[in-house]
Amino acid sequence: MALPSGTFNQSYAQDMAIFRTKTQWILLFAFLAFLFTCPLYSGDRILTILTIIGITVISVHGLNILTGYCNQISIGHAGFMAVGAYTSGMLTAHLGWSFWAALPCAALMAGLVGILFGLPSLKVKGFYLIMATIAAQFIIIWFILQFRNITGGGDGLAVPRPEIGDFVFKSKASYFYLVMIFACLATFAATNIVRTRAGRAFIAIRDNELAAEVMGVNLWAYKLLAFFIGCVFAGVAGALLVHYVAFATVDQFPFMNSVWYLGMLIVGGMGSTAGVIFGVVSLKLLDELVVIVGPMLAVVVSPQAAASLSLIMRGLIIIIFLIFEPRGLAHRWQMVKAYYRLWPFSH
Amino acid sequence: MAKIKWLFVASLLIMLVALPLLGACGEEEAPPPEGPPPPVEYTLYVGGCFALTGAYAEDMAASLAGYEDYIAWVNENKILAPWYPDKTIPDNVTFEVLWRDDELNVEKVLSIYEELKDAGLMVERVSGSPQALALMNLLNEDRIGATSAAAGPYLLSPPKTIFTNYPIYTDDCAAFADWFLENWTEDRAPRFAFLTADNAMGRGVVTDELKAYLTSIGYEIVGEQYVPLVPTAPPTTQLLWLKDNGVDACFGVMINPGSQPTVKEMNNLNMGPDKAYKITFGCATPSHIQVFVPAMGEEGNGFVVAGGYASWDDTGVGMTFANQLLAANRPDKVGAMHIMYVDGIIEAMTQVEALRLAMLEVPVEELTPADVLEYGFYRIKSLDIGGITSTPLTYGPADIEGVDEVRIQQVQDGKIVDLGTYPCHHIYKHQ
Repeated sequence: MALPSGTFNQSYAQDMAIFRTKTQWILLFAFLAFLFTCPLYSGDRILTILTIIGITVISVHGLNILTGYCNQISIGHAGFMAVGAYTSGMLTAHLGWSFWAALPCAALMAGLVGILFGLPSLKVKGFYLIMATIAAQFIIIWFILQFRNITGGGDGLAVPRPEIGDFVFKSKASYFYLVMIFACLATFAATNIVRTRAGRAFIAIRDNELAAEVMGVNLWAYKLLAFFIGCVFAGVAGALLVHYVAFATVDQFPFMNSVWYLGMLIVGGMGSTAGVIFGVVSLKLLDELVVIVGPMLAVVVSPQAAASLSLIMRGLIIIIFLIFEPRGLAHRWQMVKAYYRLWPFSH
Repeated sequence: MAKIKWLFVASLLIMLVALPLLGACGEEEAPPPEGPPPPVEYTLYVGGCFALTGAYAEDMAASLAGYEDYIAWVNENKILAPWYPDKTIPDNVTFEVLWRDDELNVEKVLSIYEELKDAGLMVERVSGSPQALALMNLLNEDRIGATSAAAGPYLLSPPKTIFTNYPIYTDDCAAFADWFLENWTEDRAPRFAFLTADNAMGRGVVTDELKAYLTSIGYEIVGEQYVPLVPTAPPTTQLLWLKDNGVDACFGVMINPGSQPTVKEMNNLNMGPDKAYKITFGCATPSHIQVFVPAMGEEGNGFVVAGGYASWDDTGVGMTFANQLLAANRPDKVGAMHIMYVDGIIEAMTQVEALRLAMLEVPVEELTPADVLEYGFYRIKSLDIGGITSTPLTYGPADIEGVDEVRIQQVQDGKIVDLGTYPCHHIYKHQ
């Protein structure tokens, strides 16, 4: 990790520390303080946006481990979210389980389904793996629609809100806190997973599969592990989403969401935990901006044309990043930090 | 000392200049107004979510146009409709359409809902089944009434606060089945199958309750086939399945991009009421017959739509009013406007009526969404839409389905023919 000018690591602990200086700790606590006091000065709308961002961050962290670190491109992530969502939804709605008991099961089930669809990853890669994961998206949704007696099929499934004792996570503020705690835990977990033996194996596979295998990395096991971990994150995100709406329907997990999640990774920066947050926040905020600007533009062009701006903007931004900054916003952020890191020395 | 002297002189000069000015201002002050103060102007918002991006974009754009034209007319005329001169709008109240594009995206609709609520929208609008499923609990908890362009049976399990102006799809299907059975001449039981869109909207019609009803009136249920919402290839496999299984009547919920290729392929396979293989295909109203006929002409002969609006050339006051609005605001669209323009007018009228009724009970400045629901939506009884809908609209806490009858229309000789109305059987899915 690059350190500020004049700061040197003198121990292994210092070398491994994520937050190395007091300034970094202060900035972290300031950010967390700002985040967790948001309900005090934000309306329901802002809290809704932040809650959705939080849920998406959890999901895209999983995709980042799978795609950004292990190079197993998945365009079925929304499908894996649906597995977690419906597992938790069915356990709570039909069997009366507590959300807290259903959530680990949702994560586990999504992970296991991830392994199932990850099986072809040893034989196929690149474009062919993309096709396999697209199939996962549609097969999962098909299964949910077929088992309508337990999933509700196209009519969806009413899902209870999470509870602790008599307290129900019903208000926007309470659910915001719940999601943010999970988002912080997911960020912490994602950051540390890539610093483990498995994480280093993922990166080795991403950089050169053959070289990784020669070094002794078990490709099959680690690729499946990446699918498992990535889908566990998706399962948690899916469960949080349906319990937030108090309703589960397949329309909450459309194929295009899987594509946009990948777009968020491109914009934020693949293989970077900070990049996930940058990507999700920037594209979600862009979405909100377009929602507001659309009706204003409708004075000049037709409402339909103004509304299409959202898709155009998102697509355009992804193209711009692919061409001009393929390493994403995270890389830009590193450059900004590097510029100030030398201060007060010029070089 | 010199500084103090200068400060004193400067203060004196300022006072000398300022005092006459203040005095002059006082002289020009208007005398206090006699009589009551002028009424405060209030703007009430109508509208909500419109899926202007995605499969329903054409429908929603027309609906939004209907909202805008109708609201402009109401603001000018201060009455609910030309045939309701007694339902007046207070002079100090102006309506404004507030809309957002939700892209049929559930996550997006959640934040838009909060934004519109914060902006002061006391009514809402739901643009499709995914949005309705996502919002129905929130709307109910917040006690906000919403009009809807989706009419899936999920809205009634139990009835919440989303109100439809055309029949629930299951009631459309039941009415289609009633009509078909009336014209059935063979001794054997007619064989029935669902041929419907493969999404929440389309699958919403395939319910156990509806199957039980169809069986009870004498149908033999064969099964169901699904077609993509917007087919990328002709649904040959599905249609041949119907043929192989000897199906006599099939029904589904599709939009025009789904029903038109399906009927074209039926013709290719020589299937239809007047073809070698006799089968009647019907759809619920999202497959608008007023859009279907201009596109298909005689190729669409035999196709049935249940639960639709009156046709553009209907001579009733409702369609006349819609045509007048269209001619006044969008003359280039006359004869080419999507029928959902009429839906926009009806929805806007319903929202305005709900707000108007609520204002009779609660002063406008104290109005809340819950008031609009309780004193507005729930008190709409027999709201005449000028014959556009099959019956006047009536709503209540347990009645979110505005109409009580289903209009059945068929394409004959490339024209829309009304075959009559059939009662809503209120066949809902019970979870």
